[in-house]
Amino acid sequence: MNENKGFKNTAITVNMLWIFLFVLVPNLIVVVISFLERDPVGFFRWEPTISHYINLFDPVNARVFTHSLTYSFGTTLLTLAVGYPFAWFLSRVGRRRRPLMLMMVIVPFWTSSLIRTYALVILMKANGVINSLLVTLGLAKGPVSILYTDVAVYVGLVYSLLPFMILPLYAVLEKLDSRLLEAACDLGATHLQVFARVVLPLSLPGVMAGSIMVFLPSMGLFYIPDLLGGAKSMLVGNFIKNQFLTSGNWPFGSAASVFLILVMVSMMAVYLLVMKRFNRSVMP
Amino acid sequence: MKRWVGISWLTAVYAFLYIPLVTLMVYSFNQARFTTVWKGFTFKWYIRLMGNQQLLDSFFNSLTVALVASVIATVIGTLGAFVVSHYRFAGRKIFFGLIYSVMMSPDIVMGISLLMLFVLMGMETGFMTLLLAHVTFCLPFVMVTVHARIRGFDSMVVDAARDLGAGEFQIFYRIILPMILPAVLAGWLLSFTLSLDDVIISFFVTGPEFEILPLKIYSMVRLGVKPEVNALCSILFLLTLAAVTTAHFLTKEREK
Amino acid sequence: MKKWMILICILLLPAAALAAKPSVYVYNWTEYMPDAVLSAFQKETGIKVVYSTYESNESMYAKVKLVRGKGYDVVFPSTYFVHKMRNQGLLAPIDQSKLTNFKHLDPMLLDKPYDPDNRYSIPYVWGSTALAYNADHVKPEQMISWKDLWRPELKNRLVMNDDLREVFGVGLIVNGYSVNDTDPDHIRTAFESVKELMPNIRVFSGDSPKQPLLNLEAHGGMIWNGEAYMAAEEDPAIRYAYPREGAIFWVDSMVIPKNAKNKEAAHRFIDFILKPEMAKLICEYVGYAPANRTAVSLMDKALKDNPMIFPDPSVVEKGEFQMDVGEAILVYERYWERLKTGL
Repeated sequence: MNENKGFKNTAITVNMLWIFLFVLVPNLIVVVISFLERDPVGFFRWEPTISHYINLFDPVNARVFTHSLTYSFGTTLLTLAVGYPFAWFLSRVGRRRRPLMLMMVIVPFWTSSLIRTYALVILMKANGVINSLLVTLGLAKGPVSILYTDVAVYVGLVYSLLPFMILPLYAVLEKLDSRLLEAACDLGATHLQVFARVVLPLSLPGVMAGSIMVFLPSMGLFYIPDLLGGAKSMLVGNFIKNQFLTSGNWPFGSAASVFLILVMVSMMAVYLLVMKRFNRSVMP
Repeated sequence: MKRWVGISWLTAVYAFLYIPLVTLMVYSFNQARFTTVWKGFTFKWYIRLMGNQQLLDSFFNSLTVALVASVIATVIGTLGAFVVSHYRFAGRKIFFGLIYSVMMSPDIVMGISLLMLFVLMGMETGFMTLLLAHVTFCLPFVMVTVHARIRGFDSMVVDAARDLGAGEFQIFYRIILPMILPAVLAGWLLSFTLSLDDVIISFFVTGPEFEILPLKIYSMVRLGVKPEVNALCSILFLLTLAAVTTAHFLTKEREK
Repeated sequence: MKKWMILICILLLPAAALAAKPSVYVYNWTEYMPDAVLSAFQKETGIKVVYSTYESNESMYAKVKLVRGKGYDVVFPSTYFVHKMRNQGLLAPIDQSKLTNFKHLDPMLLDKPYDPDNRYSIPYVWGSTALAYNADHVKPEQMISWKDLWRPELKNRLVMNDDLREVFGVGLIVNGYSVNDTDPDHIRTAFESVKELMPNIRVFSGDSPKQPLLNLEAHGGMIWNGEAYMAAEEDPAIRYAYPREGAIFWVDSMVIPKNAKNKEAAHRFIDFILKPEMAKLICEYVGYAPANRTAVSLMDKALKDNPMIFPDPSVVEKGEFQMDVGEAILVYERYWERLKTGL
């Protein structure tokens, strides 16, 4: 029994310690800074204030936030739309071929993201591959503007975040027993019913995990939208980066970051709650 | 009909994922120095790459960090996911909140706050600090992936094993681990990928002795990314592809 | 295999043991110095060069400040970051008597307002930000002033640098103010001018302004001279023009952080870079002008006479060097946010 306790305690301790030291403490540093006065030389000085949080409520900052939110929502929905069927079909491929095909999903992502984004630029630019094809095939008279538009931004975001949707979905769908589905079909359920009543509820944890892993990081992403969208709008990621680097306003940047995390935590709590309800309603 | 839809969907997504890389490989043979317009075929970037020791060194550094960090993150993260789904302990909810906060923190905030922590702890920046930071930002991705898979399991299996006298470690190792292996693998893959490509956090927490590839590539932007980088990326891409396929066929042989 | 041994050494040996060997820690942009120069220095002095890189002045500044300048011996900040770091006491004074090659430097680039008497910084390379256009789409006489960017025929066809100081700098210049203006009213006027320019701007380029020009996405805009030079090599239709109001100039300088451990080696390194033959190598490699007059005289005539890289002194005279604007940066940042959110 001692050995049992040992395993359990070690597992808990290692995790708690790591999270405490490398997540909680840095987070606390950020929270503390967000309540201090800005200082042009030392980044911040030990004078408490809540002015940074008050300054956050401003139409300009709200626009920055809603704009990022739109991109993140759009990206999450698009990756889900592309990734769910993909993960499903992948999980139905022969058992032997599955690991190879799964690896093939991730291999492209071992190339530097900057280099991959440049490859997308080569494809989408005015004198690029896609436009040349369109013109040669007679589908367009002159080059179509793709680069530096929202289309390019979404292509780039979906491209770079797709595996974060596919992998957790696959991990969940893969364990679905196909005999279960056959049984449902035998009992007279239509394909749609099988999907809505069996597959979807059982895969919800994967949908949740995937959406979280796409949505949250995409809020902070700005490199891809800047390179492909032409940086004409400001996103939360740039906004916070500029506070830290360009204007040296660390307390304001910290406040923005803390606020961002708080908003997202509450959004996630609602999301998880709704998902749980939904899960219960389809599986009484 | 259904089969046909599946095959075309898979093909389309793989095409989407691979077309930019094929473009990259084609352009790595481009004469033009700035890789925008096709100017003729050449091998010269590959030859120059072989002489670029700094670039190759930083690649090996990146690979080392990515391998070590992703393995550590996978071990700790898998245990963590198991712990939160099987044991009740104080601070479980807070634990989750903190895990998610890592995914939400903008890179710049995380980089700066971790560097402040290391400075406070009196640690010199270098391989160790870089490794600690990488494990930290990889952890949540492992935990979320594995947790999603563990949650669906019947707790009766575990109870039955416990009744039959299995210890906690045995339960984890003999029952849970084999069942969640695909998710563990997925978590490791995501960690390795994230670690291999991180720039902003790494910039702050690494030291002068330990340069990594993404940092070198991003800071080339000022003078234009060198075509040698395209050559390096193409070689690496082909090597990984070859390694993955070989590994697949080797395991297949063994199964026979 | 060797790699792993080195790794194990790094892990096991305390950092102090490694530092015992004479070395100099150089912090610079990637490939901003040819390997040949580094190995020549190593060969001549026996001092090992440890070269690491950063991707923007801003992040370099934050990092050097956070580690209190420890661990880096020679850093290469651009103009106004020298000013800023000097003002904040982050830099160690440079002993010019130790620099035997100081005499080769171009007096035109010395004793500038961002560092009077070059007490803390030694110029490395320099360049300008001015107008670029594609001659197939824009006539040369249509690009002679910063105001030409506002031309309606350039609608949605401009590339601008994704840098608030440079973009608002243009706005300040066309209104007759200095690029280093700190008056909030003047900055607002500049913001209003730039806001009118927005429909013309197709892209703010954060990485490389030559790419949209080469990709035919943009037909004109603002660009660094080195970028324009490289772009013109690939597509001769791309031209560079110094606007009549004056261009924006910048210098990348060598500085020594205050807490640098190897100040002696840092001085030797800087002196080595100032050797004309080394400066020449560097210029040929990076494509920007060296701050070294003697080095210029050693160069090919074609390069020496290229006004894109070596402008006439009268052009430099008319232009401005960027300085730190102190607290006014907050005003700039605020207008930058408004510009990009359209409010």
